[in-house]
Amino acid sequence: MLNKYEEMNDMEIDIIKEIGSIGNGNAATALSGMLNTKVSMNLPKVDILEFNEALHYLGGPEDIVAAVLVEMSGEIEGIMLFILTQEFSDEILMRMLGREKVEFTQFEEIDVSALTEVANIMISSYINALSSLTNVNVNLSVPQIAVNMLGGILSLPMATMGIHSDRIMMITGQFHIENKDLDSNMLLLPNVESLNILMKKLGVE
Amino acid sequence: MEKQISVGIADMKIARQEGILITYALGSCIGISFYDPMIKLGALLHIMLPENNVSGNVNILKFADTGIRETLRKLYAFGGQKQRMVCKIAGGAKMFEMSGAGGLGNIGERNAQMVKKVLMSEGLRLCGEDTGANYARTMLIDVATGQVKVRTMGKTERIL
Repeated sequence: MLNKYEEMNDMEIDIIKEIGSIGNGNAATALSGMLNTKVSMNLPKVDILEFNEALHYLGGPEDIVAAVLVEMSGEIEGIMLFILTQEFSDEILMRMLGREKVEFTQFEEIDVSALTEVANIMISSYINALSSLTNVNVNLSVPQIAVNMLGGILSLPMATMGIHSDRIMMITGQFHIENKDLDSNMLLLPNVESLNILMKKLGVE
Repeated sequence: MEKQISVGIADMKIARQEGILITYALGSCIGISFYDPMIKLGALLHIMLPENNVSGNVNILKFADTGIRETLRKLYAFGGQKQRMVCKIAGGAKMFEMSGAGGLGNIGERNAQMVKKVLMSEGLRLCGEDTGANYARTMLIDVATGQVKVRTMGKTERIL
């Protein structure tokens, strides 16, 4: 049984990475279907980082990003957070709505709902894959979007996951639309208890 | 260019006479500035959670209660006086409009309440506040003057 993220060994990290890989693959397929174009992904990474390291890993604290957050409950508790950069948002809005570059600060209702929906479908596909692979029930909350400084956005998952430890674990995956590197990050942030459940379901004690 | 000292998450820095203490993008977290104008002693603390009820070896600056007490302990050791101390706070936003009952969404509000409660119980004056709403704030204090500024996305800097 793990009590803190930093107690994970290499084998456990590899197993969690595999979950990320399957989740990301499904999310990429979903995005590809929505945009009707080729979407590829990087191999996911599992990082156990101190708060400030985690923030700098994802970008500058004052970088303006859009982020869609879904809360997981049921057998697995935690947060899914999809962080979209301006370039990624431009690409999606252009392909879905035919919109020319819309700055985050100039967002209209339609842009916000389109991005939220795309992220929601990707997150749902990710969690569906995780759920069928490990045979756990996961309930997802209504997706919420925020467009603001990266540091502020990450404060919620950090506060939630960081009560018992000074580190958080992030399972990150990046997507590429037609091979363009658009610097997006899909984050799976389970709490420690859920991590234990996932590993147990996959036969690791 | 004045010396700028960056305060991370769950972190605190102290400066005397001059320099700018800055902490970036406070979301649900809270930045608390402390300043003793007589001796130009300033501190900036960045907390994440309201209460330290965790056993084991964790960073005490992460929590409002233990973080504030630790900061005061250091400030008093540097000659700071409670009666002169000027405290200001920023942050405590609700970045996502969460509907779940898990209390996830109101962490900012709980942080703000706890910070005020602890400051009051320590007998300190709260002289300025910019909390709540749904956006992140960068907070800085100029130790030469005690001036505290808050900046947010798409708005001009605000003096607290």
